[in-house]
Amino acid sequence: MNLSTALAFSLPLGVALAAVGSAISLGRVVSSAMEAMGRQPEASGKIQTGMIIGAAFVEALTIYALLVVFLLMGKVG
Amino acid sequence: MEPANIVTLLEGAFGERPLVQFIHRYEDLFFASLILIALVGFVRWATRRHELIPGPLQNLMEIVVENIDSFFGGILGEQGRPYIPYIGSLFLYIWAMNMSALVPGMKAPTTNLNTTVALGLTVFITVQYTGLKQLGIGGYFFHLAGRPQDLVGYVLAPLMLPLNLVLEVVLPPVSLSLRLFGNILGLDSLIGAMVVMGAAILGYFGLPGGVPLQLPFMILEILLGTVQALIFSLLASIYILGMLPHVGEEFIITEDKIVKKKGGSH
Repeated sequence: MNLSTALAFSLPLGVALAAVGSAISLGRVVSSAMEAMGRQPEASGKIQTGMIIGAAFVEALTIYALLVVFLLMGKVG
Repeated sequence: MEPANIVTLLEGAFGERPLVQFIHRYEDLFFASLILIALVGFVRWATRRHELIPGPLQNLMEIVVENIDSFFGGILGEQGRPYIPYIGSLFLYIWAMNMSALVPGMKAPTTNLNTTVALGLTVFITVQYTGLKQLGIGGYFFHLAGRPQDLVGYVLAPLMLPLNLVLEVVLPPVSLSLRLFGNILGLDSLIGAMVVMGAAILGYFGLPGGVPLQLPFMILEILLGTVQALIFSLLASIYILGMLPHVGEEFIITEDKIVKKKGGSH
């Protein structure tokens, strides 16, 4: 197996793995925020802001994996 | 893989002219300045006459400004009010840059890492300057040492200092710029791939043109481009808030209820 074959196999798998982790944590973030909003509707603005910030931090990890793909994509085939 | 824009068309037609080559080389700068000029020109034109009873354009501008002011003012508080114009223009500029990918012949300049690193560096300079100005040099390092309150805090301070140095000084501009760049580049290459696929379907039957497969993803880009602009400016305001002397409002937890402490923390 040469480098370009290995990369062509592993790059999509890497993004998929990162997306799985990110999806699980995003689900947790959003469901907790929704629960909190349901319990305290008057604080929904603040909860929403915090949720967006947390979701951004979670999502950044997938974006890092995507960036690695963009950087290494030139080496495939 | 991105859809063609005016600059690539120009380059195809007049590729040997030095001016065209120059624009093609710095196409992201070209589009970024174009968007900046358009944004400033539109706002100047919309508010050329201030009237007590505003016309439709002035009304639109007032709605935008009031919403930005109330949203970011709610996060930054009274002390952070001077930073709202900066953060608001950051939001509008990034939003306009993200949306320009939807205009035919335009390209989102945020798909270039140089644009987003420049934006992240402005946030970095603002945050660190705010920290040094508001807290003083001693207070700045006290803040970086984790604001120790007791002996344990002071013992742990040499550990916290490099940690906070990475977390609060190095990481924010890096993660801000990489997040914006990666998101918008991912969306744009998705749209580009869909354009190529739509053209390939008709090309298979020997027909010119293409199926507009990219339209649902363009709607997705409206949503995600707005969210990314919001996240960028929101995180910038959070970083600025962390450097202001009053870090939020402090609460005292008594036996059965939470009381708001008067006057903040420092």
